[in-house]
Amino acid sequence: MAFEYIQGQSLMHKLDPRTKVLFFMLVTVLIMVVYDPIIMLGLLGVIVLMYRLSGIPLSKLWGITKALLPVFIMFLVLNYFVIPPRGAIVYFYLLPGIAPVTIETTLIGITSALRFVLFIWLSRLLTFTTSISEILIAMVKMKSPPEIATSLGIAFSSVPLMINQFSTVIQAQKSRGSQIEVRNPIKKGISFIPVVVPGIYLTILRGMNVARTVEARAFTYNPKKRTFRKMIQFGHKDYAFLTISGLFTAVVVAIRILYGWFDYTFILRDVLRFM
Amino acid sequence: MTSKAPVISCKGLTYIYPGTTEPALNGIDLEVERGEIVLITGPTGAGKTTLCSTLNGLVPHFYGGRLEGEVRVLGQDVRDTSAGYLSTKVGMLFQDPSSQLISATVEDEVAFGPENLGVTVEEITQRTNSVLNYMELSGLKERPPFALSGGQQQAVGLASVIAMKPEILVLDEPTSNLDPIGTINIFALLRKISREEENTIIIVEHKLQELVDIADRIVMVEGGKIRLEGPPREILAEDAVLLYERGLQPPQVSLLAHKLKAAGIPIEKVPLTVSESLEILSKPLRALKERASELRQKESEAQQIKSQPIIEVENVSFQYPGGVVAVRDVTTEFYKEDFVGIIGQNGSGKTTLVKLLNGLLKPTRGVVKVFGLNSRESPIHDLIKYVGYVFQDPDSQLFSKTVYQELSFGLKNLRVPKDQWESRINSVAKMLLIDSLLKEAPYSLSRGDRQRVAIASVLVMEPQVVVVDEPTTGQDPRKRREIMELMKVLHDKYGKTIIFITHDMDLVAEYAKRCIVMKDGGIVLDGAPHEVFLHYDELEKTHLKPPMITLLFKELGTRYNLRKDILTVDEALDYLKSKLVS
Repeated sequence: MAFEYIQGQSLMHKLDPRTKVLFFMLVTVLIMVVYDPIIMLGLLGVIVLMYRLSGIPLSKLWGITKALLPVFIMFLVLNYFVIPPRGAIVYFYLLPGIAPVTIETTLIGITSALRFVLFIWLSRLLTFTTSISEILIAMVKMKSPPEIATSLGIAFSSVPLMINQFSTVIQAQKSRGSQIEVRNPIKKGISFIPVVVPGIYLTILRGMNVARTVEARAFTYNPKKRTFRKMIQFGHKDYAFLTISGLFTAVVVAIRILYGWFDYTFILRDVLRFM
Repeated sequence: MTSKAPVISCKGLTYIYPGTTEPALNGIDLEVERGEIVLITGPTGAGKTTLCSTLNGLVPHFYGGRLEGEVRVLGQDVRDTSAGYLSTKVGMLFQDPSSQLISATVEDEVAFGPENLGVTVEEITQRTNSVLNYMELSGLKERPPFALSGGQQQAVGLASVIAMKPEILVLDEPTSNLDPIGTINIFALLRKISREEENTIIIVEHKLQELVDIADRIVMVEGGKIRLEGPPREILAEDAVLLYERGLQPPQVSLLAHKLKAAGIPIEKVPLTVSESLEILSKPLRALKERASELRQKESEAQQIKSQPIIEVENVSFQYPGGVVAVRDVTTEFYKEDFVGIIGQNGSGKTTLVKLLNGLLKPTRGVVKVFGLNSRESPIHDLIKYVGYVFQDPDSQLFSKTVYQELSFGLKNLRVPKDQWESRINSVAKMLLIDSLLKEAPYSLSRGDRQRVAIASVLVMEPQVVVVDEPTTGQDPRKRREIMELMKVLHDKYGKTIIFITHDMDLVAEYAKRCIVMKDGGIVLDGAPHEVFLHYDELEKTHLKPPMITLLFKELGTRYNLRKDILTVDEALDYLKSKLVS
């Protein structure tokens, strides 16, 4: 599930959701100025470390990464088409006359693919360590209308119920001999109709019932004055965490601008010189 | 009392839902005073739920439609008052428990209403804790509501309404998913609330006998109009038979008294409870006391000669992936002649057990043999040819454009040759009285007909065993009987083996030939209902109660040496007639 939350007591769990959003933005800036694939690998290592420290099993990380592999390759290949040719030696062309493959384009390609992986790893780390209700409260704190936050909350808490309903539908159809686990993808698609149609009906029904229920529980009475039981607060941890990561990003950006470091051949330039 | 003005007042209330022409409510005049407990009853489709929805403004503000006449709640005209405001004064519990649970945990659910009211955090915590404590739900605080049993969900729904501390509580069948003891507890809670807080309570119910001494007034609605209105004692004393005929559930002892009277046996007063009934029957029965002791029990139906078992369950346990063990070391057999009612508290493993019978679930330990096939080795595809499973909610399976197509779904899946389809479908449609509906769209049918279509769609596959999971939940007593009558026809006339799950003890008493009682995943009692219902103490331990009439004969049997194993009103009538007239 895209919003799976894993309970825990780590620093990542305890940070204010707003801190996590700001942290995410800082890291985005950071990886935009870093082009060197080796440094990018180092940053990925840091994320893996953070997973460990937050108590998220690495098997989860591997699950995400497996799904990313095709995208990773796609990023790599597309690069040769998009990036203007650089470097002296063209090894070969991907298509006759276009998409030249050089050391430089390859390195840029690897970096942007790694950047993409880091982006996904980090966002999943944040969702693994932040519960839906924390996100919603953060939304209210950040001045989004309370109705929207609450509606989203209800939608998310309906997910397990809907999964239950769908599995009942599947069982009911299996009891009528429907074979949902077939190999042929077209047949498989057709075999899902008996599940999808009642599913849609039940989903609409659920929507109507929820609307009726929130109305009956005074949700529309005075949303502006609504009490939120759980509150979130910026603490020392948040300030410390943000200051450190903010400083780090600022230093990297400054060095990049002043000295032009962290280019795609920053670490490998001596090696490349001999090629 | 703060004021003499009624808290609810309806004058000539008529309401038509959008897109319909028939009024759902037709000229209702009703006044309710502060602190009153009013029981609204009536057959399905009478307009009870619509009437409730008017009181918190969902009608007309949420549903639209045309409202005529006047409805005032706490002096405010409902038409000019927003549903949002009314919902702070009128707490409403809807019928279907799972449809009204919206939060991620039980605690959040109960706090949701008070949060909307803008109550302080401390007060919310205090209210949430006290109501959860009182309803014995504290242990479930962190659990997601969807994962609870139907009965627990209903209790959580009620707790969330009570936590809002509304002046008026409107409860639409608040105990439909509860076991008998749970029902009694909820009604006791309501009485306490109404006494302590002077709340006004409107309850929609079919279970009249539990409410006799709690409600101040009964209002019976039929066809959008008020048919009967008055104190419970008066109504039940005069109209118990009428109520029964309209598909309601008056106390069995009242019904018995009426029938005895009609049979010429002198009955002074119509009783409403077991103890009243004992007193009233003591006069005609006293003469019997000197007679010889009665043979205690009817010949047991369980002792009939049985053929080979068709389903064998040997030391079967089932554990869900989450770790919950739902069935524990169960061994039993089912026979071709069986008509089995499975009862037990919510979460006792009833549904899991029957799902093991057609291979929907495979046992984690032990063996289930269906007509000689080991369920673990045979695909479900083969097992459903023998065991048909009808799900409770028809809407979780109907999907076709016409009823005919819906019925052909199973035949197509089982690769039955096409030339047999028509004759099979027609004969099943006739059996279930839906042969005139074959060209209709399933979704356009009434709930009762949709359920028949769902049953038919399983029967076309010609299984020997028909398993029905809670076919009667959420239906009025008459509809429940209709479905059970249908099962009886399938059993008696077409030789089907029937296995059904229910909360309704009266149905088991009347229809089942064999009764299985489950508790904590195991079978605690198994036998003919005439035997099982005499185990009063064991039943109570599993939160169940025999029918009221059986409890009456428990006492009568001891005092006058009569049979104790009387399960239905008609049985009681015949028995007493044979005793008293001779």
